[in-house]
Amino acid sequence: MAISDPNPADEAAATPEDAVESDPTAVATPDTAWWRRYLEEHVAHVAVIALLAAYPLLHGALLASPVASEARMLLPNVETMTAVLYFGLFAMSFDFISGYTGYLSFGHAVFYGTGAYVVILAANGKLPLVPHTTPFMLLLLLGGVFAVLLALGIGVVSFRLTGVYFAMITLGFSQVAYVLVRDWGYLASSPRDGPFVVGPEGAMAPVFSVGVPFVDSLALDIGVLTGDSVVLGPLSLGTTEVSFYMVGIVVLVCYLLLQRVIHSPFGRVLIAIRENEERARAVGYDTFRYKLIAFAISGFFAAIAGGLFAGFRRSASPDNAFFFLVTGDALLASIIGGFGTLAGPLYGRLLDETIREFLSKEGTGGGLLPYLREVLPESILTVDIAGLTVQGAIETFLNGHGSLYLGLLFIGFVLFVPGGVLGYVRERLGGTVAQRVASRIRGGD
Amino acid sequence: MAVLRTEGLTKQFGGLTAVDDVDFELAGGELCSLIGPNGAGKTTFFDLLTGALDPTAGTVEVAVREDTDGERADGGSATGGSVGWIDITDAPPHATAQQGLHRSYQVTNVFPTSTVLENVRIAAQAHGDDSFRAWRNVNGFESYLAEARQVLERVGLGGKADAPAETLSHGEKRQLEVGIALAGDPEVLLLDEPNAGVSSESVDDIIALIEDVATDHAVLLVEHNMDIVMNVSDRIVVLNRGEVIADGPPDAVRDDPAVQEAYLGGYEPGDVGDDTDAEDPGDATEEGDAATDDPAGGGEPG
Repeated sequence: MAISDPNPADEAAATPEDAVESDPTAVATPDTAWWRRYLEEHVAHVAVIALLAAYPLLHGALLASPVASEARMLLPNVETMTAVLYFGLFAMSFDFISGYTGYLSFGHAVFYGTGAYVVILAANGKLPLVPHTTPFMLLLLLGGVFAVLLALGIGVVSFRLTGVYFAMITLGFSQVAYVLVRDWGYLASSPRDGPFVVGPEGAMAPVFSVGVPFVDSLALDIGVLTGDSVVLGPLSLGTTEVSFYMVGIVVLVCYLLLQRVIHSPFGRVLIAIRENEERARAVGYDTFRYKLIAFAISGFFAAIAGGLFAGFRRSASPDNAFFFLVTGDALLASIIGGFGTLAGPLYGRLLDETIREFLSKEGTGGGLLPYLREVLPESILTVDIAGLTVQGAIETFLNGHGSLYLGLLFIGFVLFVPGGVLGYVRERLGGTVAQRVASRIRGGD
Repeated sequence: MAVLRTEGLTKQFGGLTAVDDVDFELAGGELCSLIGPNGAGKTTFFDLLTGALDPTAGTVEVAVREDTDGERADGGSATGGSVGWIDITDAPPHATAQQGLHRSYQVTNVFPTSTVLENVRIAAQAHGDDSFRAWRNVNGFESYLAEARQVLERVGLGGKADAPAETLSHGEKRQLEVGIALAGDPEVLLLDEPNAGVSSESVDDIIALIEDVATDHAVLLVEHNMDIVMNVSDRIVVLNRGEVIADGPPDAVRDDPAVQEAYLGGYEPGDVGDDTDAEDPGDATEEGDAATDDPAGGGEPG
């Protein structure tokens, strides 16, 4: 993580009032203002959020600069980044249950799919009692509630098992759901392709806006085609950029909530269960209840992620919402980013999407091949080496094979960096990034 | 007076009777040792008490807890005679723990990647009402931290608070084992071979620890080192093939002929053990005569 400018504590002069209202649990610098201390403790968070917030502008600026081709080749576009955010949230919710309690929820896609389908079906007037004009934010919550109920049902049965059997039974449940939505004609005109947001018959398709429900001035629409665009002085944000920010806000709030749970007494019990469930039981925890509640929380946020996905894409299909490979992608992101680190899966997903886009076939988001076509002279591309031209070699071995290299990367991580990116960084720093940066700023060790 | 009792406690695994019709009572403040040859049913007895196993027959009961601390120290509290009993025969492990029954394990069983402090803190948190709180930062619950630090000092791990448990030495892990059990605010401590595999230099530390915790808890101790058992126990119960064959103060048990035959057979030189537990009397000889040179028998299935 790029953290620079550790602004040393030059504000030594503190007023006595500050000391009075300071939190007794904070060991260091109790005489600084609470908000300053809070920011110090969260410098790493603030830096990452600032980087993400600046990304669309940075990306736009780079595309207008002399290194435009390089930027287009290397950097994921804003639409992809939006996908990184909502899928990153899904991967975090997966990590919340799998990385913290150690129970691999291999059917997690069922919650993601539930969130996505609730949003679209409600917008199409297909959810009984739910008007199609229900604000998007409420639909997200509604999807979350559905997922919680589903998680409790699945969990009551599945948590009787452990280890690989738990993974298998959750997988079984999600595959049942997958087949059900794939074959249920009520859900979409072609259930195999999944529903689109078309609105109920005779009515306009609703737009989805993120913000305060029922207050237009405090909400912005999302979606590449249907979203709002905003002009703020010299800044002009297109629909994609606005969607990126609005989805980002929801993801950020969800992340902070999840993080809070992790650092609570409840979260510590989850870690104890992962570390040694027999002993956790022996010291007095009814682990079944803790696991079940954690599963419900995890399902809730998975559904929010699915709802964001559906709201942004305005469509979903059994294969990109309910299928077990969707869970597989979350697992991949978690392993690469860091299992049991919560934030790690977001970075894992970022790496995942970046590689896929870099090696994408279409080259719509930039990538290697369009770049080489642009820079390399025709003569080099057509050089024949052992019956294969350079261009042919690229097309054969690189283009559209992002998944292949991702798979190799995955193997590499499992073998050599089992803690993932964030786990490795934390191990090197000897604590979470936020903690270490904070103590360094304070001039500690 | 008594804090724990069993009646007719029996556990059968198929045709094998591991624990056979055991009537047992543990008094408050008492340090009772449970001894017996390999396979006598000691660990199974622990598992039955704590709910890790369900008995085939019989009952386990604990006395209604006194909430005021200190009363347990002398064993005879003011209400001692008239306490009620709670049946925990079929209670799962977490419920028996909530009733004040905490155990340490023969094979080290800690939270490996958590810090030593967290290992003990999580056990302290288990007897509070805050474990379902998901919104406040865990560091705000200082009483558990304070309790955990106190326990760490007591078991001699105060300097290791921030080390991950898996990095401790074997002896330290044994201390942590006891620490986790202690942090649960136990009424009864069940210590399953706290000395298992501990080097001779560390044995004294653990003995001191056992004697220390016995000052304010009822302790049921499984131990193979006869010197330790004879020295620290108020009372000794001998199990053989699941049955109680002797129960009394150390001197009486040592001289009991049935015990001599079943367990301490090799205790006197010249006595050629002809019973089926041939390997164990040999062990007992060694441990009985030269305990300090010998790391007490590790990894024996009870």
